[in-house]
Amino acid sequence: MGCRDIHETISACVDGEASPGEAAAVREHLASCERCRVLERQMRAVGAGVRQVRGSVPDRFREKVFARLESEGALPKRKKVFPAAWRWAAVPLAAAAGLGLFLLTSRETVRGPVPPGPGTARVETSAPHAPSPQVDPAALSTEDREMLALLDILEDPAAFDANDDAEGMELLAPGDSADSPNPPRGGRSEAWPGIHSVS
Amino acid sequence: MLLFREGSREAFEELFSRHHRAVVRFAWRMTGDPSSAEEAAQEIFLRIARAAPTYRPTAKFTTWMYTIARRATLNYLRDTNDGGEKVPILSEGEGEDGVYPVQLPGPDDRNPEQVVWEAQLTERFRTALGELPEGYRAAFVLNRGDGLSYEEVAQVLGVTVQAVKTRIFRAREMLLSRLSKDVSA
Repeated sequence: MGCRDIHETISACVDGEASPGEAAAVREHLASCERCRVLERQMRAVGAGVRQVRGSVPDRFREKVFARLESEGALPKRKKVFPAAWRWAAVPLAAAAGLGLFLLTSRETVRGPVPPGPGTARVETSAPHAPSPQVDPAALSTEDREMLALLDILEDPAAFDANDDAEGMELLAPGDSADSPNPPRGGRSEAWPGIHSVS
Repeated sequence: MLLFREGSREAFEELFSRHHRAVVRFAWRMTGDPSSAEEAAQEIFLRIARAAPTYRPTAKFTTWMYTIARRATLNYLRDTNDGGEKVPILSEGEGEDGVYPVQLPGPDDRNPEQVVWEAQLTERFRTALGELPEGYRAAFVLNRGDGLSYEEVAQVLGVTVQAVKTRIFRAREMLLSRLSKDVSA
């Protein structure tokens, strides 16, 4: 193969695009041809020259490109947090949420009487701080009875034993009842006047 | 790109962030001056945005992007009356002995691809690159500048791999010849 015939293959070899057979032929030729060895190095150098022409990103290039894209309508609109369709849907959604909240909070008042179970605390009252006679204590839930007991104390500050405050708090701890396996400290079953635990 | 095709602006912004430097570099190498490169690069992104609906993930995104970039640059050069096929620097047979009286970076004991070129030589090279026929210049820039394989360059230019091989070789010959003339002058 003559020098001229192999120059194009040398170029491909420099770019790593020659087949194994072509690369072998180029190596063999270069081993015996000084002129083509010089050319091979010049080809490498001129290839590297392209990467020396770098240029630089112009100032405000991004802004200019996006402004042009916007003006020509070639770019999708930026999505809003509440698109128009969802804005209209927000009204019925808010109404539904309000109704749900109302039903949840009013459930306490419409539910039926809860039969007392074993260990359920009952309220025994003594005049003059008894609850309204129309209210049947058996028809009240545990939470309602505790609330009524607290109201009794608020109406009669004298009934509040400030000295036993801390121990009284223990009686209201979850799971604390007459048949609790862990009775309050000191074994007291009654800390607040007007509240008696019955089994 | 698929997300952008489906209407995601954020996807296009991400695409721009990833590729704008490569696009500007390509436009700079193809046009040869900063203002033309900026105009051409803007045009490239405009065409990418417009062409998004037709994008099919059958090829690498970069191959598709450079196809658009090359066409946009070529049209820009034609519009500015600067993109016509240049008269080849070499006539057939010229330089056939493969000896060019040009001293390019890279003494024999150093790798010529690792040497930083002097500014004057880079400027001469840029001028010589701009005088190549557009088809040769595009093939050479895509392969040596942007790292596309001959196969990918062939896809971008719509020619055969053998044609790419020939174009790149001819580009090398012309560049070496032009740089040699600069040295002789």
